[in-house]
Amino acid sequence: MPNSRIKLLSLLIAASALLVGQSSANLPVKEHVLSNGMKVLFVQRNDQPTIAAGWIARVGSANERPGITGLAHLFEHMMFKGSKTIGTKDIKRDLQLNDLQDQLRNEIRREDSMLRAKQLRGEIADMTDPKNRSERHQKLMVEFEKLVKEQQDLLVKDEFSKVYTQAGGTGLNAFTNSDVTCYVQTVPSNKLELWAWMESDRLYNPVFREFYKERDVVFEERRLRTESTPTGKFGELFESIVWEAHPYHWPVVGWGSDLASITREQALEFFNTYYAPNNLTAVLVGDVNESEVVPMLEKYFGRIPRNPKGVPEVVTLEPKQIAEKRMVAEAETTPSVEIAWKSVALGHKDMYALDLLASVLNGRSGRLYKNIVLEKKLATNLRAGGESRKYGGVFTVQGTVSGEHKPEEVEQAIYQEIEKIKSAGISEQELQKVKNQIQADSFRRLDNNYFLMVQLAVADAITGYKEFIEAPSKYEKVTVADIQRVANDYFSKENRNVAIYNRKASAKPVDPELAAFPDQIRSMIASQMNRLSKITDLAQLKTIVGQMEAQAAQVPAEMKGAIDYLRKKIETQIQELSKKENK
Amino acid sequence: MLNHFVLSLISASLVAQTTSSVPPKKTGIPNRPEKLSFRSIDFKVPNVREARTQLANGSSCYLVPDPTGQPIININITLKGGGYLDPRGKEGLAQIMGGLLRTGGTTSLTPAQLDERLEFMAAQSNANLGDASGQISMSVLSKDIKDGMALLLEMLTQPRFDQDRFELSKKNIIQAMQRRNDDSTSIERQQLGFLLRSEDYYGNRNATKTSIDSITLEDVKAAHAQLIHPSNMIVSVSGRFDKSEMLNLLNNTIGKLTPTSTAKISSEVPEGAYIGKPGIFIVDKDVNQGRVTINLPGVAALSEDYPSVLVMNTILGGGGFTSRLVKKIRSDEGLAYSAGSTFTGSVYVNREGDFRALFQTKTRTVAYGTKLALAEIQKMRTALVSVDELNVAKGSIIDGFPAQFANKSTIASAFSSGEFSKRPDAWLETLRDRVNKVTREDILRVAQKYLQLEKASILVVGNAKEMEEGDVKDHPGKLSEVGASFGFNWAVTNLPLRDPMTMKPIK
Repeated sequence: MPNSRIKLLSLLIAASALLVGQSSANLPVKEHVLSNGMKVLFVQRNDQPTIAAGWIARVGSANERPGITGLAHLFEHMMFKGSKTIGTKDIKRDLQLNDLQDQLRNEIRREDSMLRAKQLRGEIADMTDPKNRSERHQKLMVEFEKLVKEQQDLLVKDEFSKVYTQAGGTGLNAFTNSDVTCYVQTVPSNKLELWAWMESDRLYNPVFREFYKERDVVFEERRLRTESTPTGKFGELFESIVWEAHPYHWPVVGWGSDLASITREQALEFFNTYYAPNNLTAVLVGDVNESEVVPMLEKYFGRIPRNPKGVPEVVTLEPKQIAEKRMVAEAETTPSVEIAWKSVALGHKDMYALDLLASVLNGRSGRLYKNIVLEKKLATNLRAGGESRKYGGVFTVQGTVSGEHKPEEVEQAIYQEIEKIKSAGISEQELQKVKNQIQADSFRRLDNNYFLMVQLAVADAITGYKEFIEAPSKYEKVTVADIQRVANDYFSKENRNVAIYNRKASAKPVDPELAAFPDQIRSMIASQMNRLSKITDLAQLKTIVGQMEAQAAQVPAEMKGAIDYLRKKIETQIQELSKKENK
Repeated sequence: MLNHFVLSLISASLVAQTTSSVPPKKTGIPNRPEKLSFRSIDFKVPNVREARTQLANGSSCYLVPDPTGQPIININITLKGGGYLDPRGKEGLAQIMGGLLRTGGTTSLTPAQLDERLEFMAAQSNANLGDASGQISMSVLSKDIKDGMALLLEMLTQPRFDQDRFELSKKNIIQAMQRRNDDSTSIERQQLGFLLRSEDYYGNRNATKTSIDSITLEDVKAAHAQLIHPSNMIVSVSGRFDKSEMLNLLNNTIGKLTPTSTAKISSEVPEGAYIGKPGIFIVDKDVNQGRVTINLPGVAALSEDYPSVLVMNTILGGGGFTSRLVKKIRSDEGLAYSAGSTFTGSVYVNREGDFRALFQTKTRTVAYGTKLALAEIQKMRTALVSVDELNVAKGSIIDGFPAQFANKSTIASAFSSGEFSKRPDAWLETLRDRVNKVTREDILRVAQKYLQLEKASILVVGNAKEMEEGDVKDHPGKLSEVGASFGFNWAVTNLPLRDPMTMKPIK
């Protein structure tokens, strides 16, 4: 099930940023290229009767353009909709219905164009609100639903998943990020041929049915992860601020308006361009047998024709950043700060030193926690990360603000830590510590066939899997001088992007006493409080209290509680002010 | 482009016709996956009796060696204790104490020294106490096992409870508290607690600003002195080690721990009666997607009905894409990204958890989606499931079994959690056979017994006004009228948010 896709994505970015493996002697990866150019990697481990199986396409949101953002991910959903054999009782009618739906959609798109024009002229607020549809538009929608219904009656509903589920396949899933799309699961080891049958079938004979319903599902995914969470929408905005020219500028899930407009025809074109075998790698880890695997995969996947043209290259390079960029957000969250310096692509020679630098900053014994959380007590939590992707990367530090401190104070404290490294470097002991951790983690990661499979697939799609194998020795070679050099090379003011999150005023935890008042009185109190809070003159405040007491008898009964409440607040304010003055 | 598209459609239908009327070409690839045949695999559930042992001091212990695995050893000690033992007014005490076992230093090491030691040896170590149980763990390179074990023992038995780290821990809890109403997911979790269990149920005794402020270091030390008893611990070890050497090491460290005069065998986790009332309960939160849960009392894992309920729920909403709720709400209607149902487990296998169906959808389709979900649940009670559905559900449980034991650390944790939850050894070992015997009639019977829809408590979190209005254009119907459409006389109640610092309802 394409679930938890984007969550997994961030995990993968972290995992692939630290491309840690064992030496090749300990990680026997076998490589084979099928006759049509599809690459196969496998690692034989026979202690459990399961195989972690997956394949990856070298395509992600970076291969999109404005207007079709979100297509790589939406497309990933479509890959679960079956084939000419899987998923329908009547393929002939099924395909006709797809065609008829497309025609009707063309008509609906004309209506959408008119709505878009109205929205641009300010005549309607939201072109996707069904209340804005014309009569013709609504009629088309009803007709479209009829076609959908007819097609659904012919479906063998979600047969693709059903075949695997019944066979004991688990964790059937897929994920898309900016650079890759990966389809994964674990199968009992006697079902490898079933995997080969099913996966090659969906690549060889795909049918993208139920397209428009799935587009709605993806929109709900966007609401779930981005729009209805406290910081999701701001995170999306910040990414688009960081990346100016490169396609990393748009979110993997796509802009809302694009997502609502993508067509089935565009999805088909996308498939034909990017899902040819010469753009794919399959990875198997677990109870496999070399002599069995290669002929089996050649037999099933080998039938898919290669795309001799290859895929269009992403040529846009992010320009060198020339000025600091800042975002200040008012959000329903604890105040925090995020700093993102532009760094390097995955596999860049400086990536290894930057990753180790992040580790030196991290951890409970790391510099950020020791100095900013424990000593200065400005933050409760801090984290640095080298996030390198195929075409570029950022080095980030995030901090959650403690108590009444300001995000800007944490920001300055972070810069101070960075400056110390720029001028004085780090100690040998610090470097050795993070190298020890990298070595131990490289063992831990191999404990799990599924994660090893995913890491191999992602690494192969981005840099070639050998980079993954060689990474530990590259980390081992990093010196304290390298770390000081990269700190100086990348952490400049003009190269950074800063996101400040303040707690949204209305989202401040409500005083329960205040919440007890009726709406109207509450808003009256709020505006008075606002006015009062600006008064810093003790005498003036005392006068106000005096006036309130004098007029107490004339206050209407329903306002009495409010006046008492305000008086209490002013008295607290008076106390605090006099404390300050006494100091 | 359009021409190309139409062309590809035509050729696609031609191909389809050829494949359906002409036998497949000589690729040796059968035209349907059912035609493949598979060798059988012999999978035995990992043997718990082989792993089980007892330390010299009486603590239970499970050893799961992995002779060919990576040179890593993972030690985990399950702690019987947690928030349910917090004295009244001191809610949050166990949470603070548990965390400090890792962060608060030991008598011989300051917190900073301990952090440095652990991180330099690349150990991963955690400690926490939740509502009903806790754990302290240590993962080290095999070569460092002696040091790792000594540090673990010291953290567990001689914590320093450093003042600064204690204050920091309180500050972090208060900060997390301030976020309680930020996210609709967290609002849903809190409100479900109060909807289904009484206010004094341990799971609902949330920490408040007042309770955290009142906790002193003396409270923390007393709670710790009470917890450290061999009978409150279940030890499990997995990774690359020799079994007898490991047993020896354990007996010379953790196994030497004897109860002090202040130590107490923890009482059982208290039971909490299900108190959910029928009706629709709405929490207003201004987000553009509503979160819906449909709740009922569940089933105990030890119940004879459990295997039938497991299969039934797999068909209804537990089986991912092949389950009915996902098919209907996600796939057919495009209303939600995630949808499904679950029978939650309880702390002990002889206690009932809850039934919960859930999904999230844009505010205007909350009412319509809820109706569809209720209809699917209702259908489970009125008609037999198909033979096909039964087979897919059974296959997924039985053949998917090995994947649950994919590595040694999962096996070790299955063993210790089995003991904690009082699960008999045979339970796991016989589950596949018991599932295999479930019939369609069994499923109908348990659906009628457990899915008593008229009693459902439905919690909805989202923009109340828009959810109530519904999808006027495409699927008219107000949220408050959903019950009536099933003939249920459900009250509609607006639940206030709770003040994040006091957890008292905001009027």
